[in-house]
Amino acid sequence: MVNVIKGLLISCDIPMAQFIINLNASLPQSQKFIIYVLDSTHIFVRSDVAGTIREAIKEFRDQNTYEKPA
Amino acid sequence: MGHGDKGRHSKKPKFSSKENQRASAVEDEDAYYAADFEDDYRDGDREGKKRDFTKLELKPDHDNRPLWACADGRIFLETFSPLYKQAYDFLIAIAEPVCRPESMHEYNLTPHSLYAAVSVGLETETIVAVLNKLSKTKLPKEMIDFIHASTANYGKVKLVLKKNRYLIESPFPEVLKRLLKDEVISRARISTEGVQGSDGFTVGKSVGEIEGRHDELLNEAGLAAAAEEKETHSFEIYPAQVENVKQRCLPNALNYPMLEEYDFRNDTVNPDLDMELKPQAQPRPYQEKSLSKMFGNGRARSGIIVLPCGAGKSLVGVSAASRIRKSCLCLATNAVSVDQWAFQFKLWSTIRDDQICRFTSDSKERFRGNAGVVVTTYNMVAFGGKRSEESEKIIEEIRNREWGLLLMDEVHVVPAHMFRKVISITKSHCKLGLTATLVREDERITDLNFLIGPKLYEANWLDLVKGGFIANVQCAEVWCPMTKEFFAEYLKKENSRKKQALYVMNPNKFRACEFLIRFHEQQRGDKIIVFADNLFALTEYAMKLRKPMIYGATSHVERTKILDAFKTSREVNTVFLSKVGDNSIDIPEANVIIQISSHAGSRRQEAQRLGRILRAKGRLQDRMAGGKEEYNAFFYSLVSTDTQEMYYSTKRQQFLIDQGYSFKVITSLPPPDTGPELNYYHLDDQLALLGKVLSAGDDAVGLEQLEEDADDIALQKARRSAGSMSYMSGANGMVYMEYNAGRNKHQMKGKPKDPSKRHHLFKKRFV
Repeated sequence: MVNVIKGLLISCDIPMAQFIINLNASLPQSQKFIIYVLDSTHIFVRSDVAGTIREAIKEFRDQNTYEKPA
Repeated sequence: MGHGDKGRHSKKPKFSSKENQRASAVEDEDAYYAADFEDDYRDGDREGKKRDFTKLELKPDHDNRPLWACADGRIFLETFSPLYKQAYDFLIAIAEPVCRPESMHEYNLTPHSLYAAVSVGLETETIVAVLNKLSKTKLPKEMIDFIHASTANYGKVKLVLKKNRYLIESPFPEVLKRLLKDEVISRARISTEGVQGSDGFTVGKSVGEIEGRHDELLNEAGLAAAAEEKETHSFEIYPAQVENVKQRCLPNALNYPMLEEYDFRNDTVNPDLDMELKPQAQPRPYQEKSLSKMFGNGRARSGIIVLPCGAGKSLVGVSAASRIRKSCLCLATNAVSVDQWAFQFKLWSTIRDDQICRFTSDSKERFRGNAGVVVTTYNMVAFGGKRSEESEKIIEEIRNREWGLLLMDEVHVVPAHMFRKVISITKSHCKLGLTATLVREDERITDLNFLIGPKLYEANWLDLVKGGFIANVQCAEVWCPMTKEFFAEYLKKENSRKKQALYVMNPNKFRACEFLIRFHEQQRGDKIIVFADNLFALTEYAMKLRKPMIYGATSHVERTKILDAFKTSREVNTVFLSKVGDNSIDIPEANVIIQISSHAGSRRQEAQRLGRILRAKGRLQDRMAGGKEEYNAFFYSLVSTDTQEMYYSTKRQQFLIDQGYSFKVITSLPPPDTGPELNYYHLDDQLALLGKVLSAGDDAVGLEQLEEDADDIALQKARRSAGSMSYMSGANGMVYMEYNAGRNKHQMKGKPKDPSKRHHLFKKRFV
């Protein structure tokens, strides 16, 4: 039996993949978006979550970036 | 900042029509903004408006002039101008350096910096005249007004210490009357019994000072006030209130900043100390200059001299002491630097061994004779608890003596309250503070203005590098990606207290560190210091790499032994230091620093650590630009990417960047082809390490809490201290023992620290 699921292939570096996995794990069961973790740099996710992931990563990066006060 | 910008833009259009109507009413506009926004946004706005320079008129010969002066008090200096040296000396006297990269410096005129200018003997008119002469454009009217407004009252009031009494002196009785109207000051006054004159001021005669010329630039404006008899009026204040009175007099309150001067040549009350600089002690040009600022008119002024680490601060201190030639109290931060200061005094001056004594918990040397140098630590003087009988006697002696010079090393590290205590205990005619980094994250620096005095001199780091006086350092930030497993743990909420330990123990970082150590030890034969604030990481790294380490609990004897070995032995080329090594441990041999963990975003720590390798090494011609070794010192900061460390790291670098340093980013360390010769190559090892980090108690992986100086205080048997329950019951020790079991026994020496005293929320606030 063959299942076809439409989704999004994310390829990123190792830490970011971990970040996405962690994000997924923190969500309640109904909102989980990872369909399959292919390897340490590739993840297959639901197609509708691209924006959410981008947002979360942006926020995470901002936290780790220092901007000199003007 | 992004938020602020948005707010500003959306509000702007509302004002624009108004702005046109009252284009002249700039002040109102500012006030309006002030009410509306927070401080920094307001600054931004004002700058924006004043940044329109289209109307500025260039002087015809602007090419020959080095400065751009802006209406908002900012001054830009071209360092490639032929007049750079003179202009720099002048600017550093009147303005605060903001940023000093290679070819363009930025300065800021502030009331405090102008106060400093006046106190080194510059007059308002001179400041305006010279600025005008150096500026490419006509001096903005706002700036002239600002200078006039800020300096109008300076120098009218003086604080004098005579025969152990503090007097406030002024040639203008009306000024004193105005001061006395202030509640704080009138309360501080000691009313004299026999009232002379209706106003009760003591009237005395004093010889007007003979002004020396400040700088060849000021020739035309030079002033030669003849010695004349002037009447001075004075009243006495309580010694305990001196600091409050001084604070009330600062520009932001009554605006009569007090000058503190000491006429040491005419001081016949205090016995002279027979000491001179040895002939081989040749102060360098910038050291001369800083001293000339201090002794401008034959008197000694109180203030702070800022020189980079390794540029010879001790020589400046010793020279100052031997010029004043009175008893001198020298304060350092810890016992090691007390020894170093005592050594420096003997090295540079002709002081006899019996005239200098050290006062620490280990060596309590009583000092004989009527004048001498005492070297001690801040803690020893400020300590409030019960002391041993012996030290009580010495402290009593320090308290009762009138010191010619109070020499304070590393003034930036000492918390304000401790300073207050020290200054209230010791009576000194003149205070000299020495430091390399006048930045603090808690902005307590401004306190120093009234606690010690204005900043007298600040050297430019890059100029000293060019002159070959300090080492030319290559700064690098090494980016180490987190490994998969460590990052997964880092992200977990339940590990939030272990975040630091996780990013510090990142195996990639370890490998980068090991690689750098190997490279510098084997290929270049360098001496390396590795800094880690995190005690857990420090022990872990040092044990794995089998290198000696020094941290808070390491005894003085052991420290000295390790440092000696590091200095002399060829076997010991790397030493691991916790933050005890940040200040004052003098290791001239080291020329490489690897920083694996740090105290959050502290700019000062970064600069101090860099300072450990700034002392110039090798031959001068090799070090100059184009020489054999353009860089002869290396500063590596290892950072785990995608973690908080990135944030801190950038913040920490700001001070050094403002001094003109640039950080190179290195991304591929160790090189990809390195294999199992470095530790933690195999996943199993990495996982074992991860397990260790995770199983260590929260206490163990936190920051090391130092009691600033364990000296006298630690020796007290009964001591009240707040600690966690586990600490009291000894459970802490159990964790410590267990985790150390089977390893080198000697590491367990010393008392276990309890880093858990502060809640981690507050740790963050203490950046």
